[in-house]
Amino acid sequence: MQIDVTHRPGNSAAKVTLQPGETITAEGGAMIAMSGHMQVETTTHKKGEGSIVGALKRLVSGESLFLNHFTPAGAPGEIFFGTALSGDMMEYNLNGPGLMVQGGSYVASAPSVNMDIQWQGFGKTLFSGESMFLIHLTGMGPVILNSFGAIYPIQVNGEYIVDTGHIVAFEESLTYEVSKAGKSWLSSFLGGEGLVCRFRGQGTVWCQSHNAGSFGAAIGPSLKPR
Amino acid sequence: MQITINRDGQNYGPYPLEQVEQMLQAGQAQSTDLAHYEGAPDWVPLSQIPGIAQVDTTPAAPAIDAESYTPTGQHEHEFRIECKPDFSYLTVQVPGNQTLKVEASAMATMSTNMVMKTKMKGGLSRFLGGESLFINEFTAQGGPAEIGIAPGSPGDMDHVYLTAADEIFLQSSAYVASGMSVEVDSKWQGFKGFFSGEGLFLLRCTGQGDLWFNTYGAMIEVPVDGNYVVDTSHVVAFTGGLQYNVESVGGLKSLFLSGEGLVCRFHGHGKVWVQTRNPMAFANWTYPFRPTKDG
Repeated sequence: MQIDVTHRPGNSAAKVTLQPGETITAEGGAMIAMSGHMQVETTTHKKGEGSIVGALKRLVSGESLFLNHFTPAGAPGEIFFGTALSGDMMEYNLNGPGLMVQGGSYVASAPSVNMDIQWQGFGKTLFSGESMFLIHLTGMGPVILNSFGAIYPIQVNGEYIVDTGHIVAFEESLTYEVSKAGKSWLSSFLGGEGLVCRFRGQGTVWCQSHNAGSFGAAIGPSLKPR
Repeated sequence: MQITINRDGQNYGPYPLEQVEQMLQAGQAQSTDLAHYEGAPDWVPLSQIPGIAQVDTTPAAPAIDAESYTPTGQHEHEFRIECKPDFSYLTVQVPGNQTLKVEASAMATMSTNMVMKTKMKGGLSRFLGGESLFINEFTAQGGPAEIGIAPGSPGDMDHVYLTAADEIFLQSSAYVASGMSVEVDSKWQGFKGFFSGEGLFLLRCTGQGDLWFNTYGAMIEVPVDGNYVVDTSHVVAFTGGLQYNVESVGGLKSLFLSGEGLVCRFHGHGKVWVQTRNPMAFANWTYPFRPTKDG
């Protein structure tokens, strides 16, 4: 499997070249273009669990992530992945410690990477309607992540605070706690800094230069009511 | 984690992760240097060590890569495309009393002796369907004139010089401008498109002269030899001679659940231009941010 991130940093796409029998797993909707002999299988993030109806229910309630598995049949093949928003992408090679990825930043991963959706902390405390969740990736192999805007790493040694809307991913060696930015809920929301993630320990947090929720809030009032 | 670095057969270190980061930042170490840490099965490039991942040691690219393109091959008009690839902007020199076709509303700047006339392609039915293409004709009256053309979407732009033997199909929103001897046709024999529910509204470009088209996002040129699949919303253009079918990516289950919508399957020998972003995906992304009717 060969991964090349092209057209960085604003209009990035990820090109994945696969040998026959190799598979890449990607978030639903990420595929832009691919070789004609690519086989596609669709599952939820929990492969082989539950019926389609059950899966649909989980999709509607926002509890599930639909994944497509692409495998070239008989000959090497290629596939391009893209995103809805402009920004950068990065390849990360899991090799031991796991990685926590902000839901919207996940693009694709090798099948040797295990995936688990984690809600605690985020899902319960967020009442703004944004579907914020973390994907816990473990195992070995390459992962492709995307950002809204640029990606920059921060080495945490001790304690560090990152706005939840600016997190791309972080190493699981870090412990995290979601809390309000200000002293009270009122000041947090009036200050426009709703929720922040407080990291402790040693490890890397990858941040994105722009906050998709803020961008949405900026253009929302100009859009037609739904 | 203690990391040993090997360059040209010489081992250095081991260093703690933080120090390796600093060495990378300072250029003392390269992301391509081989590295090893305790417990790792193999020596791998430093960039693949967990935790180091993507420290880019090359100098940061400027925010706007003001790459400029002027034609080197065959062309009809003198032109330049500036601010490629993210914000491509086209400037064309039109000789005296000659005319250029330009996508409606794409004109940004022009000489004062440029005169504009509006034409509509596709007829009223297409117009009512919201899928019409208006093309304005700009004539350089009495002497040479210049026109600056900015497509609606930020992205890349390409130029093709059509000869009598060529045929290019464009997704309608990709059309930017063309010479007067290029026919831009929205109705032709064998058209399978918007009204057959296939989500594609294509323009057929034939004739002789310059043709410019743009993307939303970056442009990927894919040579097709055999069989290639492109999401319909990411199709920018393709060469005539390629056959295509519109279909869903997997079976019925995939159509509903995969999130991939419809794809174009191309057959034959030719070239497809693909865009890395998709206006529809962006529009869908804005949905949760729209105000609700009852406030």
